[in-house]
Amino acid sequence: MPTALSSTDSATTYRRQGHLAAARRAVADVRILLQFRKQAVRRRHFARVLSLVFLGITVAVAVIPSLVNHGPSSARAQVLALMPSAMAGILVLSMASAIASGGGRELISRDQASPYPISPTTDHLGALLLAPLNIAWMIQAWLLLGSMAYGLGWDDALISAQVVVILWLVFATAAGQVVAWGVETVRRGRFGIALTRGLFVCLAGAAGYIQLTHRAAHFFDSIPTTWFFFGALSPWRLYWWEVVGALALGSVVAVALGAVPTHLAARRMPRDEARMETSQHEPRRMPRGVVGMLVRTDRASVWRSVPMRRGVMVLAVGPGLVALFGDLSWSSMTILPGLVASGGALLFGVNAWCLDGRGALWRENLPARATALFDARAWVLFEFLAAASLLTVGIGALRAGVPNPEEFSALVCTLLVVLVQVVGAAMRWSIKNPYPVDLRSARATPAPPAAMVGYSARLAVSTTLTSLVFSGFAHVPEWRLSVMFAIPCLMWSGVRLARTRERWGDPVTRARVVGTVAA
Amino acid sequence: MTQVPVVDVRSLHVRFGDVEAVAGIDLEAYAGQATALLGRNGAGKSTTMRVLAGVVPPTAGTVTVAGLDIRKDTLEVKQLTGYCPDVGGLVPRATPWEHLQLSARLRRLTGWEDRARDLLERFELGDVMNRVTGGFSHGMGRRLSVVLAAMHEPQVLLLDEPFDGVDPIGVEATFEVIADARARGATILLSTHLRDLAVQACGTALVLRGGARVASVDAEEMAGEEGARAYRALLD
Repeated sequence: MPTALSSTDSATTYRRQGHLAAARRAVADVRILLQFRKQAVRRRHFARVLSLVFLGITVAVAVIPSLVNHGPSSARAQVLALMPSAMAGILVLSMASAIASGGGRELISRDQASPYPISPTTDHLGALLLAPLNIAWMIQAWLLLGSMAYGLGWDDALISAQVVVILWLVFATAAGQVVAWGVETVRRGRFGIALTRGLFVCLAGAAGYIQLTHRAAHFFDSIPTTWFFFGALSPWRLYWWEVVGALALGSVVAVALGAVPTHLAARRMPRDEARMETSQHEPRRMPRGVVGMLVRTDRASVWRSVPMRRGVMVLAVGPGLVALFGDLSWSSMTILPGLVASGGALLFGVNAWCLDGRGALWRENLPARATALFDARAWVLFEFLAAASLLTVGIGALRAGVPNPEEFSALVCTLLVVLVQVVGAAMRWSIKNPYPVDLRSARATPAPPAAMVGYSARLAVSTTLTSLVFSGFAHVPEWRLSVMFAIPCLMWSGVRLARTRERWGDPVTRARVVGTVAA
Repeated sequence: MTQVPVVDVRSLHVRFGDVEAVAGIDLEAYAGQATALLGRNGAGKSTTMRVLAGVVPPTAGTVTVAGLDIRKDTLEVKQLTGYCPDVGGLVPRATPWEHLQLSARLRRLTGWEDRARDLLERFELGDVMNRVTGGFSHGMGRRLSVVLAAMHEPQVLLLDEPFDGVDPIGVEATFEVIADARARGATILLSTHLRDLAVQACGTALVLRGGARVASVDAEEMAGEEGARAYRALLD
């Protein structure tokens, strides 16, 4: 009975798959991974309802604005005139979002994926599928669909125009992903970090030059998206078919092309992460108090993390530059702190205890009051969000002139209220739904994609409403009005935060959270 | 005179939802003695250790450490214990020295630096004391976890899988830590799957199965092939 190969036998050799077979396998693997992710969804019924709600909202925003017939035709024309720029905007957003997250979100984390033969193509396709599960993407998409519907009105051309908008969204997302993987490939190469930083400085400089030389209008008029836009307004004609065909083909090409830089990037070491993981930090003097020591440890966990550093820069600088180049007024700037604080909380705050990773078990054995741990973590989150929001407002303030007392009062009050609001919500969710997450990778998120959508939607709604109220107060010639509204808001959020702190004091709750994040 | 146990666990139950991780464990451990906790995966060893470390509260039963009730005096018990958890146990973006500083500050230690440096050197971690632990190998992480558990010379040393993935030098250093702790009268509880190492390090061995204690024997009875057979029989 033969038990082993003899010297004359040849061992079985592995036959490399062809490109088409590999692509087919990658698509099949995406389906398997999606199934795996689906099994891990905790509240399936809720997730199903949430998906239907989002689908319903999408259909509603694509149709209902067309039925609104209260605006003059000039208003509709104005909205339509902005469409090409809005289309370009979503392309830029898709790129920025995918670049900031190092190629897009992960369908399965790198560590979890490591034992399985998952190809970079699968990773790329997974990231592409997850890209729309992002409230910023969704709001932009809804704005685009809603604007088209409002601009066109209830017309036969609406359906054909919305087909083009949807195809544009698909194309923009896929193209954004290609660019992001390309940037990630460069970033992982020799001098990659310096090169990409230089590129972003040049782009910011170019944007500043266009704005300051008053060439923005000319620039927006010459954006090639106008070709797609006018095609959308030519229902069922040859031009429309050309646009639809170009977008469909462009999307397929972009999806396929994205696999190339993904494979190239996968062969290179993620430099940012490697640098962070091998970084040396000279010992510093110990802070005097216990909370001071805890704060220092938590602060290090935040600022030494690649996704947090990268994310906060994009969050703080991006809206700040928009405010600067868009010449945003002080009253409109009240919208920014809520936006930035919500985004900042989504970097780690919604699962704040995951910062310790598996070190949570050791930390829990240290003789510190549970409330001291809570205070330190909440404070670090607060200062992280405050730093980002202040940087945004600071950049925006460069061209906004000197605010009057009402505007200043409204801005300060918004800042305080939304910060306490967001910290309170984030700490509450961190205890209610902890997740075992390793925030090493630039692509890591503190919670699964579906949960992130829920968190971001709730944060966006609450902070936007608050900001809009204060924005209104900025126009009222009484600065005390903002303060009077801020006090009950702060008290309400403060009480909720105190209740969460009390809950953290319960050993059973704490054991559940610590056991989960350290798993 | 009867010796009073430093660690006294009576009818300990720990339940996570529908799962009963520990189902009525009794355990006594004495000063100057090292006790091994042996058993298959899921026997309740790590959960028992987490209870003793004050990380997981008991669902039922009584647990006292140095006469302190772990439910009421959790903070004091944490002050007395040093814990090396079974998984990780390190804050990924902090350096070993920052871990030691945090432990020292929370335990109000003074003049701890020399001992900390000495321990880091013994575990061959002196060169990386300022490097973030996120990039550490598994074995390096385990060794640092033992250093963190032992640095403040705790009255009760809880070592959960300290030898897992550790090289012979790390194993030797861990033996030294256990021997030092015994010599100064500390109580050591060591949970491991490596029976031979447990026999070398401990005087007593408790075998757990299905969340309950099935045997308490002299560690020597678990030594050699005879001990392996006896251990195997207890696991089935």
